[in-house]
Amino acid sequence: MSVSLRRIGLVAARDYKATITSRGFLVGLLIMPALAVILLVLIPRILNSRSPDIAGQVMVIDPTGKVAPQLTQTATPTAILQRRSMEAGQNPAAPAAPAQPGRPATAAAGPPVPNFSLVPLPGDTDVSDHKSWLIQPRDAIPQHLAIVVVRPDALVRRANSGAFGNFDLYTSTRIDDNTETTLRDSVRAALISARLRDAGVDPAAVASAQQVMQPESTVVTAAGAHSGSRGLARFLPFACGILIFMGVMTAGMGLMTSTVEEKSNRVIEVLLAAVSPLELMYGKLLGQLGLGLTLTAVYLLVSVYTLGQFSLAGMLDPMLIVYVIVFFVATYLVFGSLMLTIGSAVNQMAEAQSFQGPLIILLVAGYSLTPVIGAAPNSSFSVAMSFIPPVNTFAMIARIASSAPPPAWQIWTTLLVSCVAAGLVVWFAAKVFKVALLMHGKPPNIATLIKWARMA
Amino acid sequence: MTAALEIQGIRKVFGDKVAIESLDLAIPTGATYGLIGPSGAGKTTAIRMIMSILFPDRGSISVFGKGSALEAKDRIGYLPEERGSYRKMTVGAFLTYMGCLKGKTRAQAFGRADRLLGRLGLPDVIAKKCEDLSKGMLQRVQFVASIVNEPDLLILDEPFGGLDPVSVRLLKEVIAEEQHRGATIIFSTHVMAHAEELCQQIVMIHQGRKVLDEPMSGLRRQYDTRHILLEPLDAAANLLSLQTIPGIENVKLNDQGCEIRLAPGTDPGGAVRAIAALVAPARIELARIRLEDVFIRLVGASGAAAESQDALRTHLQGLSNTGATS
Repeated sequence: MSVSLRRIGLVAARDYKATITSRGFLVGLLIMPALAVILLVLIPRILNSRSPDIAGQVMVIDPTGKVAPQLTQTATPTAILQRRSMEAGQNPAAPAAPAQPGRPATAAAGPPVPNFSLVPLPGDTDVSDHKSWLIQPRDAIPQHLAIVVVRPDALVRRANSGAFGNFDLYTSTRIDDNTETTLRDSVRAALISARLRDAGVDPAAVASAQQVMQPESTVVTAAGAHSGSRGLARFLPFACGILIFMGVMTAGMGLMTSTVEEKSNRVIEVLLAAVSPLELMYGKLLGQLGLGLTLTAVYLLVSVYTLGQFSLAGMLDPMLIVYVIVFFVATYLVFGSLMLTIGSAVNQMAEAQSFQGPLIILLVAGYSLTPVIGAAPNSSFSVAMSFIPPVNTFAMIARIASSAPPPAWQIWTTLLVSCVAAGLVVWFAAKVFKVALLMHGKPPNIATLIKWARMA
Repeated sequence: MTAALEIQGIRKVFGDKVAIESLDLAIPTGATYGLIGPSGAGKTTAIRMIMSILFPDRGSISVFGKGSALEAKDRIGYLPEERGSYRKMTVGAFLTYMGCLKGKTRAQAFGRADRLLGRLGLPDVIAKKCEDLSKGMLQRVQFVASIVNEPDLLILDEPFGGLDPVSVRLLKEVIAEEQHRGATIIFSTHVMAHAEELCQQIVMIHQGRKVLDEPMSGLRRQYDTRHILLEPLDAAANLLSLQTIPGIENVKLNDQGCEIRLAPGTDPGGAVRAIAALVAPARIELARIRLEDVFIRLVGASGAAAESQDALRTHLQGLSNTGATS
């Protein structure tokens, strides 16, 4: 049976225009970029700009007399920032904006840096007499944040276990989790320094010896060597999966919704007077494909722009964008056709829920696999998943986006498998679509759908 | 005259139910055919097969010499019984879209849609959204959608359902214009008075089978008149006394007077004279043959119907109120 490309184009154009100008789609289209901007740009700025200055007093009871002096060095804002940089694998010696209490020195440096004022007490002080010091009105200045009690054996190894003694911390209700963690780390650093000095070792030498900066890795392939960002390599497979998921989900749901609406509005028979069921189906598939591509293009642009903000856009392989689009189309044809089938078979959206549930689970499973597969792109599991539809497209895009892309023959095989799967699903969808369009009444089950496919 | 539509021995079964059985039909170009029968007779199924929306299990359908309506869709206009529109689209966009799907350019489709809307009393709706129209207005828009492509074959499935009398009159005028233009028209209805008024040929379907395929003029000749309508000069006249006249089978009172059914073989002229002699008439006339009666006689004679005549009359909705007379 021949189909008219002109009529398919007209149906596609109408479906595309009707969906892309709908309020729901525009809101949906803007949600992702808006979330990206909020998460990556606005929230850090808001958090940083609105973080209250954290400053307060910390009482120190040190029977050893050696830890408190170290603490005056390890609890300063500069020392706190240096520790954070080392933990993040950055060079603590790199130039940075001067640290201000309450604000980190760099945007990515983490929570605000507190400014502790130490109040040393004699080593034989009984902490029980001073616990009430931590209880004060909410607006009292200066804030009493904590009492650090260094145990007498903190610098002496016990004979039986070989372990050093510890310290105790008493806190007020005005200290938050981040500030308490920072204080604990500062005391811990002070204890280590004191112990090293006690053992005749220079703490600065040990600190230097412990500093190993994270180098930028260079990936060597047959095509040559290229530098890569470890963070980007971990993020890209998941990002590509999300892109495909969002496009397929939006376009697929659009297909299902518009078909159900055409059935419930009773416009379907009017349409079938002008186009054949196949022309209608292909037109709708094409229209929503255009919609999905538009959505994917917008998200890609936003992604590239966002990477550009972190000077990472140049590390994105243009071929990856091509693969994202190709695998989006393959995934869309499979899931879109199935959603179209559901739309044609039911009378209302509520009836579609029992059918669409398994499809959405499959889709979510597909993109949920991407970080796992991206982390081990050439494992047996990853290779096997690349050839099992309908999740093979997600698996393959995750592998392509990873730091160790698969061989070309595997990419082509995945494409071939996807094409065969898409062809079979479109063929099944066409059969059901032709019969189901004019069916009303009780919603069908899977067996009925198969029966309809046989009837057509 | 060449055939616009030829159907040979089509059969369609849904599950255990035979919807259409061995239907043959040939409709010449330019003719207006009425496809009539009670609800559930198989009319819509037959039309859907003509439109290639459904396909017969057996038999063949040829439209303008093509093996399928799919190959001649641009030449066909179809107003289905279950008709709708895109609620969010404007009337102009919807009608232009339908016209374009049927081979017209945007300008041609929009121009003809605008003209037809004006003709049907809807000159100001072209920029309105379909969801903003009343049901009656939307039905007229849907009718325009079926003829926006100037079809050579126009299939109308219950076109007057739910319309007010003024709209019905407007639609009938436009249908008549389409007839004059030379379009072949298939008109499906269970309201047989409409078919009597508009159609040259009547095809009756009952339980999926064709029980009649005759020209209206032949029907009028073939089936003798058995109804007399009487409006008495004196509103208080005893009309039930007419039952005493030989040859009168039944007298049915109505608001104007009564409807008198004659026994088979009774001379209508003699009966009119006898009635006028008994009750002075303000108006007395022989009713034209009614398709309802033809249908009941055919079905009853064939023995195919298990239903009683009353049940059949109930199926033929709308007849008692809309029967045409002359």
